[in-house]
Amino acid sequence: MKRRSRRALIYLALVAAQVFALFPFWWMITTSLKHQVEIFGGLEFLPQAPTLDNFAALFDRYNFGPFLANSLLVVAFSVAGSLLLGTPAAYALTKLPTESWLQRQALIVVLLVRMLPAILLVIPFYLVLANYGLLNTRLGLILVYTGLNTGFVIWLMQSFLAEIPRDIEEAALVDGDSRLSALRRIVLPLAAPGLAATAIFSVINIYNDFLIALTMTSTPDAQTIPVGVSTLIGKIQIQWGPMAAAGVVGALPIIVFALIVQRHFVRGLTLGAVK
Amino acid sequence: MELRYELVCKRFGAADALIDLDLHAPDGCFLVMLGPSGCGKTTALRLLAGLDDPTSGRMFIGPRDVTPLQPRERDIAMVFQSYALYPHKTVAENIEYPLRIRRLTQTDRQERVAQVAKMLNIDAYLERYPRQLSGGQRQRVALARAIVRQPQAFLMDEPLSNLDAQLRFQMRAELKRLQKSLAVTTVYVTHDQLEAMTMADLIAVLSNGRLQQLATPAEIYARPANLFVASFCGSPPMNLLHGTVTNGHFQRAEGTFPIDNGPASELVLGFRPEHAQITMRGAPDSFAGEIYVVEPLGSETLVSVKVGADRVNVRVWSDFQGQIGDHCGVRPDASRTVLFEKDSGQLIKGSTSGSSKQPGTGGVRESA
Repeated sequence: MKRRSRRALIYLALVAAQVFALFPFWWMITTSLKHQVEIFGGLEFLPQAPTLDNFAALFDRYNFGPFLANSLLVVAFSVAGSLLLGTPAAYALTKLPTESWLQRQALIVVLLVRMLPAILLVIPFYLVLANYGLLNTRLGLILVYTGLNTGFVIWLMQSFLAEIPRDIEEAALVDGDSRLSALRRIVLPLAAPGLAATAIFSVINIYNDFLIALTMTSTPDAQTIPVGVSTLIGKIQIQWGPMAAAGVVGALPIIVFALIVQRHFVRGLTLGAVK
Repeated sequence: MELRYELVCKRFGAADALIDLDLHAPDGCFLVMLGPSGCGKTTALRLLAGLDDPTSGRMFIGPRDVTPLQPRERDIAMVFQSYALYPHKTVAENIEYPLRIRRLTQTDRQERVAQVAKMLNIDAYLERYPRQLSGGQRQRVALARAIVRQPQAFLMDEPLSNLDAQLRFQMRAELKRLQKSLAVTTVYVTHDQLEAMTMADLIAVLSNGRLQQLATPAEIYARPANLFVASFCGSPPMNLLHGTVTNGHFQRAEGTFPIDNGPASELVLGFRPEHAQITMRGAPDSFAGEIYVVEPLGSETLVSVKVGADRVNVRVWSDFQGQIGDHCGVRPDASRTVLFEKDSGQLIKGSTSGSSKQPGTGGVRESA
């Protein structure tokens, strides 16, 4: 009986955590489906007269299409770019003697950029982009995000790649692979869960960024979703309905992406634990 | 292809892993590198595979100097201790991987894979993944991947050490037959002297990065080159008694034993457990002792006798009647003793009688 009651307590705690985590999401979805009058009308858990007006307004009046496109493009290219740059670097680092002076220093240097608060980096980045005429362009954002995220990719991938047994790669070398073809045909497929986990963290980080996007962009030509949504907060009035709709639409790509890679992702997170 | 190491050295930082390794294995030979862990045997194998670069020295496969070549250019196949199967590929894909890299046509690949899989009895598992196989099956897949390509040499790094005793016994025999039928020069690394004795054409005994002896198993058994080889090979190992030489007699407090005149005055007398008898205490040419333990092995009995501060093992018939604590004597077979110099540890006089009558390996038995 004691075990059963303990179990019940655990489930109760889990349910509470779920409600705590999911309620804001629920509130965002219901708000996006309510008329303005209803939004200000009180605490209704379900919209009394569901409407898609907010979504229509979002795209017709508030330029959400370009924001969404900018966000998707910028995220796709900067995540791909930083994975492409960071994974080979991480691979090279695993070939250094483990815990050697060189390996540790290299990893610390890589981490250095991440340790500075973004607000410190914004001004130098702004000046650099201004210098090259890249302010308010998607390319400018992609370059900045790629640079910032590569260090993160190196750290994460380094730990995933280090877990792949050396023997397996050496077997490929003896079987006739070169270093590069062994990396491509044997090492990377084995590191796929790690790549998935790294990709999803990177996507979320970059997709959520507000500060850098706000500073580097000024028009819907390059503004991303977080910046675009912020324009809904006016001096006089906050557009709660369209804002909630933006939240729903904005969350969709992440959810879809997470569903696609979740199988790898979960395996990636537990890679060390299962072994 | 014959294999040759020429004065190969390997240093890791300040530590010498391999010092002036000089050895030669003729074409088709089954060469076993034997030694305790850390002796340099795996280093030697990895150098030959091209996975590590030697600090100095050269290596040859046939007439080719392979020292500067990449692993893939050396045309060798390797079986790893961990098997190192590709976990994301099926058994069939694992086996055909070396062929795929060499761009064989699909029909050729399938034919070779089927042939090798049949040879190793794994044709039923071709579509499975390595994680769905038992240890013994994985071992066979690793072997299949090595032999599918018909390379110039096989390198094996303790391939049987992860198997249970019975499977190891079975695979040992199969591996030996396989090597003989393929007639491909094989370098096999192990710390298990029994594997070395049973499988090898030639054994290279290594210790502390140095080659101690390169010889046939029979030679190593009968005439170990030094005290290290004597105490490492054989189960139980060779009995070693310290003593002095005067007037053609090896002397200890417990007795004397006639030998040819040795050059040094301090010597070590060595003899195999099966080359001695238990006698009455005080029998001529015997050493006085006391039975320490009696271990019946079924077909025979192993008697451990305390001679002074040393212990000596003697193999006797299984009807042996002695008890722990009994007084007795140990008399080595004069024609089969060997002598070592005490200080250098080197062999100075081999067995005097022909080892032709009874091959030395006759005494290696599983003592588990």
